[in-house]
Amino acid sequence: MIAQRHILGTFDEALASLRNNVLMMAGLAERSLDRAIKGLFERDDDLCANAIADDEEIDQLEIQIDKDGVDILLRFQPVASDLRRVVSAMKLSTNIERVADQATNIARRARKLNQHPALPEMELIRPMHAHAMSMFKDSIDAYVREDVELGRAVVSRDEKLDELNRVASRRLIQRMAEDPDQLRGYLNLMFIARHLERVGDHATNIAEDAVYAAAAEDIRHQPFVPSA
Amino acid sequence: MESKVIMDPPMTPPVLVPPERAASPLAITEAEDARPPAFEVEGLSIWYDEKRAIQDITITIPSKMITAIIGPSGCGKSTFLRSLNRMHELVPRARIEGKVLFAGEDIYSSDIDPTAVRRRIGMVFQKSNPFPTMSIAENVLIGLKLNGVRERAFLRERLEQSLRMAALWEEVKNDLHKPGMSLSGGQQQRLCIARAIAVEPEVLLMDEPASALDPIATAKIEELIHELSTKYTVVIVTHNMQQAGRCSDFTAFLYLGRLIEFGSTNKIFTNPSERQTEDYITGRFG
Repeated sequence: MIAQRHILGTFDEALASLRNNVLMMAGLAERSLDRAIKGLFERDDDLCANAIADDEEIDQLEIQIDKDGVDILLRFQPVASDLRRVVSAMKLSTNIERVADQATNIARRARKLNQHPALPEMELIRPMHAHAMSMFKDSIDAYVREDVELGRAVVSRDEKLDELNRVASRRLIQRMAEDPDQLRGYLNLMFIARHLERVGDHATNIAEDAVYAAAAEDIRHQPFVPSA
Repeated sequence: MESKVIMDPPMTPPVLVPPERAASPLAITEAEDARPPAFEVEGLSIWYDEKRAIQDITITIPSKMITAIIGPSGCGKSTFLRSLNRMHELVPRARIEGKVLFAGEDIYSSDIDPTAVRRRIGMVFQKSNPFPTMSIAENVLIGLKLNGVRERAFLRERLEQSLRMAALWEEVKNDLHKPGMSLSGGQQQRLCIARAIAVEPEVLLMDEPASALDPIATAKIEELIHELSTKYTVVIVTHNMQQAGRCSDFTAFLYLGRLIEFGSTNKIFTNPSERQTEDYITGRFG
């Protein structure tokens, strides 16, 4: 939300381009995560392969955003909200790249699971995916709309994802004991749950950076206050 | 051949003590914050004829810190700076309202001699202005001599001390009798700073002290300003936003003769409270 044009048109263009690359990267990471999960539930190895292939482009965008960010700092020495936008864009790109890495990890695990009959415990993954994905989308939304309240809300939702992960892990460990023949399968599902839990952590980081960009407020590492 | 047994020193488990977290060198400490202010300006307005250059400014300038004054051309920065040691009175038909308290004393009180004010509150100008007919040494010592100081040993000591403080001694110590004008632009500006501090003022007012200098000379002046702030209160007017960000502890933003915002430099340059400040420092003004 850049209210007024900068005296230097090139600066506005550079900021807009940086922001567009962040949004493109977020879109690709979202698609990659979606493909990886679909690959798991629809038992489609091609979707998994696509999710893995997306990672290359996302990595390139991360490098591009860092380079452009450093260029803007060097050329324009931005201050105040401009400085926060540039610093946040660079931090966001790191977290988005890690979300994409989690999507790649999920796709690799899904391909292994697809080689064997489907496990009913896959259903434990569905609510975790929905929760992690909504956290990720909302964190990006908070950044785009400079919405401090939405950013804060995303941070407070991470605890629920952690709890879903704990529940899934307990259930899967129990099933390992009951059905050791499927141990590898349960282990792969545990890893997928863990990767989704990490997506929530990265969404939290993005939401915190969105709050910093919008309001210059650092809300990281504050004691968790459960919402009423 | 006799083999030597080298005894290892007895093993003691390493004690891991987390180091004290270092305070950021840019942060303002509590002790600094608690110092009495250098200036308390209350409701200051200044007119040149009918034109009101400064409008109702109230501000407290902390002592032994660097305060930068920023704002677009014609916003009253220099007039405000000059009002802090009554220099603006040298402009004919200048008129003032309000109070400027320095160390608790109103410098505009009728029983205060402006010359005495200017001795306590020195000034460095945009363009270096060494006295053209004087040597380097004479330039530095002129203030003391005009104040009747004659003792040679004292003058020699103060000459070296002032030039050292102005980071110029090593460059000119063998040329003290050469004309001040023989120095480079950056050296001349440091000579003017040495001249200003030779009379041991309490405050240094600087009006764009580095605007005519190259980046190296500018960096030297900025480093010097930082050094000087351990001993003096420094108020600096600058057009250069990065310079204000680099060298100052506090920043005041003036616009159309009004004080729009005053606060710690970190706050002003990361999250200013006023929209006008944000627009100006980010280059979205007007």
